[in-house]
Amino acid sequence: MMARVGRRTVRSMAADFGESVAVAALSLSRRFADGATLWCVAPEWSEHARHVAVEFVHPVVMGKRALPAVSVDSADPVAGLRPLVRPGDVVLAISTAACAATAALLLRARAWGATTIWMGVGEVPSTVDRDSGADHVIWAGDGPETDSPALHDGRLVLMYHVLWELTHVCFEHPGLLTADQACDEETCITCSDEGRLGEVIDNDERGMAHVRTARGVELVDTTIIADVSPGDLVLIHAGTAIAEVR
Amino acid sequence: MSDAADFLYPFIEGDERDVGSLLVDLGRSAEGKVAASAELRRTALDNSAEIIERAASAMTDRFLMGGRLFVFGNGGSSTDAASLASLFVRPPWGQPLPARNLVDDSAVLTALGNDVGFELVFSRQLIAHSSALDIAVGLSTSGNSRNLLQCFAEATGRGLLTIGLAGYSGGEMAASPHVQHCLVVDADSVHRIQETQAALGFDLWQAVQKRLANQGQSA
Repeated sequence: MMARVGRRTVRSMAADFGESVAVAALSLSRRFADGATLWCVAPEWSEHARHVAVEFVHPVVMGKRALPAVSVDSADPVAGLRPLVRPGDVVLAISTAACAATAALLLRARAWGATTIWMGVGEVPSTVDRDSGADHVIWAGDGPETDSPALHDGRLVLMYHVLWELTHVCFEHPGLLTADQACDEETCITCSDEGRLGEVIDNDERGMAHVRTARGVELVDTTIIADVSPGDLVLIHAGTAIAEVR
Repeated sequence: MSDAADFLYPFIEGDERDVGSLLVDLGRSAEGKVAASAELRRTALDNSAEIIERAASAMTDRFLMGGRLFVFGNGGSSTDAASLASLFVRPPWGQPLPARNLVDDSAVLTALGNDVGFELVFSRQLIAHSSALDIAVGLSTSGNSRNLLQCFAEATGRGLLTIGLAGYSGGEMAASPHVQHCLVVDADSVHRIQETQAALGFDLWQAVQKRLANQGQSA
């Protein structure tokens, strides 16, 4: 029998974990208070999406309310979630930074008017991906290790457990759940001069298209951008599609 | 409410407005949970080292003889079981090994649950699939899940190696003669127990891989 000298070492979390999960939990609790469903996706490890959903639906702590969370196990989460997500819902994706299915889903979820949370392990997303990828980014912070120890050593489970725990702490502060929901984020697309993201539903030869946005379905002028097709993402400003987003 | 007693019940009518102080509290709470989880994982890895070495040795012998691993659990533990199975099947390093999560097939699970009862959903699958060379690993936080205890009894009767992961004081799993190696996470938070069981499962997998690598060198 091998005797172990001293205590085992265990890895910690990224320094900004507490702050990032706190902000995400407040946002999630506000959306739940407003009737949201939490959609959970983990294209690389679907069991983690299922674990998150069961935490919210069937809380392990007696007396905590059951909340609507659903895991979606799909090879194509964009197609799987497109008919399900409503404006005001929350999409939680758990993945590596390199997961293409997650990147596609997070961008579209914003066009559909959902708040997005991106939780992951391994190499941290680039600053560009962080900013464009999700409203909230929560990372384990191991750095570029290919074997992603946080995936296996309990820390990924810890990350979503803490998100659940803090979300329920927020429910103990009802006065803080009814803040101006459109403007409680660091950046507020709705109120700024930026274009709003939309997903093309259909288009006609006259340069008009029906586009799905956070506000619903809008009829938009597409004449100033090149051909658009159903499923394309566009930026809309003043009733006009001003750019295509890839 | 606006009388002299307001200060006693500052949030009683939901008029709390200081988001900043809540976020500070939430952040501190998160850090406290991270620290508690790390301390529990460290303690459990220390305390379980000998059991893990014994269990890994027995598992390695069976894998080398062609044995397969069956894992099972309920709720969040079923997803932790899925993670453990995929660690063996699609490892980040080392040898891929045959492992299956008995919760994966909802047709099988609901057929058994509907026809013979939820207590038998795992044991019936062992009857269909297992041989005496195989390994059964069950995860429970309470240690008292009926369908796990039933499965361990079936496994033992069929000659399988049995390994249990439990929380609290181990529940019935810790006392069961049908659980040969029982790893108990001595804690009373389901969340912290599950995080720690993931760490113990990872440690068990690493110990098996190291033994397989040593076997390869000496062969």
